[in-house]
Amino acid sequence: MKAPLTLDVNGMRHELEVSGETTLLDALREELGLTGTKKNCLEAECGVCTVLLDGKAVNSCILLAHQCEGRNITTVEGLARPGSLSPLQQAFIQHGAVQCGFCIPGMLVTAQSYLDELDGRAPDRDEVREAIAGTLCRCTGYSKIVDAIEAEALRLNAARWEAC
Amino acid sequence: MLKNYHELLGQSLPRLDGEPKVNGWHVYASDVRLPGMLVGRLLRSPHPHAAIRRIDVSAALAIPGVFGVITAADVPDVRFGVLVKDQTLFATDRVRFHGQPVAAVAARNEDIAERALAAIVVDYEVLEPIETLDQAFAPGATLIHLGWEGYEASPVCDRSGNVCNHSRIHYGDVKAALAKAHRVYEHSFTTPLQHAGYTEPRTSVAAWDSNGLVTIHTNCQLPFEVQQVVSEVMQIPLSSVRITVPGIGGGFGGKLRIGMEHYAAVLARHVGRPVRVSCTTEEELIAAHPRQAAHVTVKTAVDREGKLLARVARALIDCGAHAGSGPSVAANTLQLLAGPYEIEALDVQAYAVYTNKVPTGSFRAPSGPMANLAVESQMDIIARDLGLDPLEFRLKNVFTENSKGPVGEKLASVSIAECLNRAAEAIGWVRGNPEANRGKGMACGWWLVAGMSSGVVLRLNGDGTVTMQSGAVEIGTGALSGAAQILADELGLAHSDIHIAMADTQTSPYDYGSQGSRTLFNVGNACRNAAEDFKAQLRQMAGRIYGVPVEEVQIRDRGVVLPDKHVPMVEIAKIVNFREGGLLARGTTFTPGPAFDASRVKNHTLPAWSNPSFFAHAASVDVDEETGEITIRDYVACHDVGYAMNPAAVEGQIQGGVTQALGLALSEEIIYRDGIVQNANLTDYKMPTAQDVPDIRCVLVESPSVSGPHGVKGIGEPPCICPPAAVANAIATATGLRITSLPITAEKIVAARAA
Repeated sequence: MKAPLTLDVNGMRHELEVSGETTLLDALREELGLTGTKKNCLEAECGVCTVLLDGKAVNSCILLAHQCEGRNITTVEGLARPGSLSPLQQAFIQHGAVQCGFCIPGMLVTAQSYLDELDGRAPDRDEVREAIAGTLCRCTGYSKIVDAIEAEALRLNAARWEAC
Repeated sequence: MLKNYHELLGQSLPRLDGEPKVNGWHVYASDVRLPGMLVGRLLRSPHPHAAIRRIDVSAALAIPGVFGVITAADVPDVRFGVLVKDQTLFATDRVRFHGQPVAAVAARNEDIAERALAAIVVDYEVLEPIETLDQAFAPGATLIHLGWEGYEASPVCDRSGNVCNHSRIHYGDVKAALAKAHRVYEHSFTTPLQHAGYTEPRTSVAAWDSNGLVTIHTNCQLPFEVQQVVSEVMQIPLSSVRITVPGIGGGFGGKLRIGMEHYAAVLARHVGRPVRVSCTTEEELIAAHPRQAAHVTVKTAVDREGKLLARVARALIDCGAHAGSGPSVAANTLQLLAGPYEIEALDVQAYAVYTNKVPTGSFRAPSGPMANLAVESQMDIIARDLGLDPLEFRLKNVFTENSKGPVGEKLASVSIAECLNRAAEAIGWVRGNPEANRGKGMACGWWLVAGMSSGVVLRLNGDGTVTMQSGAVEIGTGALSGAAQILADELGLAHSDIHIAMADTQTSPYDYGSQGSRTLFNVGNACRNAAEDFKAQLRQMAGRIYGVPVEEVQIRDRGVVLPDKHVPMVEIAKIVNFREGGLLARGTTFTPGPAFDASRVKNHTLPAWSNPSFFAHAASVDVDEETGEITIRDYVACHDVGYAMNPAAVEGQIQGGVTQALGLALSEEIIYRDGIVQNANLTDYKMPTAQDVPDIRCVLVESPSVSGPHGVKGIGEPPCICPPAAVANAIATATGLRITSLPITAEKIVAARAA
């Protein structure tokens, strides 16, 4: 049985009709065409489906779309304006953190939520590794992903000191 | 004056497909949707070995929303396979592994497809599975393929019963060498099935068009091989099959052999609608193309000074129910069993063996870690026994420049001693075990570049940029972005002036494919040749257009340089389009293997290794006294890459490859019980997370290859080879325990301590 649903995604409101069993992942990919969020294990183990729900990283494959009514959802497509890149996205490219790229949308939103929580504090590599441990990457061995997140955290940290 | 000369080579330039991969716009095969597209799903055998008495699909067909159900009865009776034609699209009279496709459905959506699968009735007569290598290899074992003798097979395969290839390298007087030895050592090692672990499941979307052409959008590594197999299976002309690879979420050799393409195509033909078939994680873990399990026995003889006199070895490679890549994977263990060492006499044999398990593939350095674990673990055991430093013992025996390889080939650009020394230096190598429960270990090896042929076609675009068409798939390594560095350098363009076209069998030139650590090596060479053709044509055209002698036209600085002016490429490109019918250029390459002594080798698909690379790894580990938990404290991978075209990308290959192999070393294993996979999910199949591995430190050696572009050697696969042995040796140093089976879990350490 389909039921009406209002979803706020990347700052835009969408009126949908989806069944009670539809996951947030399927609503994003199949209903809204936001295919940047990827689909793989469907049991919250691989992390490629990670999105931000009210700023926190969650696995969209095990969340029901109807549970997300009234919440703010951010996907990889919402990290920067279309046609531009956020500093974190740029850092991923510059540090060689991207190979096949399939885990990268999940990695990026996870890293964004980590940086938001860090709030300008100095980063720690082990803490970065812990933050992204829920997303599997089979290409990079993680080092360059950690490099990119650490570099962006250091930039934000320096910016905070400059602001003082 | 050559302003751009070599500004682009050896630089860590950002990859050309970086932006769409970070903003979510990159289209992967699993993102492709076509109008009217149906969902295809496969019914897979719940039994490892059974006879099929009857299949009844009528109840499934009656479900509203089911467009079609097909079984072996609905498709041409064709056997296929790369080296041995021993598989069929669907099981016919017998299933040979848990997960083998028996039927397929096409339905309006996933839910209906699931219900249809559940409604298919298959009457099985369950048979006893042959699960282990030893069972299958034993004399008089039950045959997995009763009709094996009737199968069409490559003449390279020496087959017999459950063995689908027996290969051998043999030289010297092994008997005499053993007889005069100071000591002889013999050890056995086992390694498990390992899933390639790509994050995008194998997915294909097939649609037939008005020309009778089936187009398949898919995430495969070898579009030209897949095209061939689809045409064979469907009995349609090769050129009626078009394979495109929009984007691919990892491959690592697990997507070399055909995946879901033929199922999508036959379903689409059967129902007359586009059909998409995508694997679930469970299907990936029970029925993909994992790394073969192996059982390797090595016997090595040394003299009093620690020189290697003889090695006799036998590798049993578990191909699973179909030969797949197995016959060549088994053959390739032979060079690994010899190792990068000079040995007086050698007799190494490998058997590719059928079992009632998942058919296997060509996972990154297909035979590498299995054989290397055996050889390099034993090198440490011998060094310890002779009272030698493992580093010193290896250095005493490694290849040097102009050494003869195992098949008598002359080796060039040999850097193994330098790799060993630099890895040792970087890890802070010390002899012995200065701290309890903490230890260092090393391993070394060598690997080939698969040669064969590549073609590249270049097109000058109206805006002065160049599109590079290659049939090689950019599987994530950055190899094509690296080839574009070579191309831009040759053409005097910026890296971002090169556009890489999607691999498409209808338009791309042929390429042997993204496999065998060959892509940058071969596509790079083809790019150099294509650039020559491009420049020759453009100089001719510029000569005609501007009325100057051809010899006075230069191509550089993002344009054409004439005696009196510089014409930007964008300007001449427009004129070339209007007056010259555009500019298309082409370059090809073929890298032959070295000369070798054919009498030394039998039944080997790659008898003499081309442009080999050398490498040494060193690990430092802690082992918990009570729990046996293993922590990798530090890891150094030293690789001779010939020339680091893009150092950041090279490091990415090393760090990623090492991490995959650390998974094999410590945690990954597809576990079978009574022929059934026990851990077909990512909770119980444990791949390394960011918290399980340290920062892998890379040391690059650049000893140029003979025939790679600018001296490049292969780097895709080699990083996967040494980690299990390096870690096993470090654990032995830390604890005194020699674990001979992978993965080395805490449980195995605790059990070995108790024993």
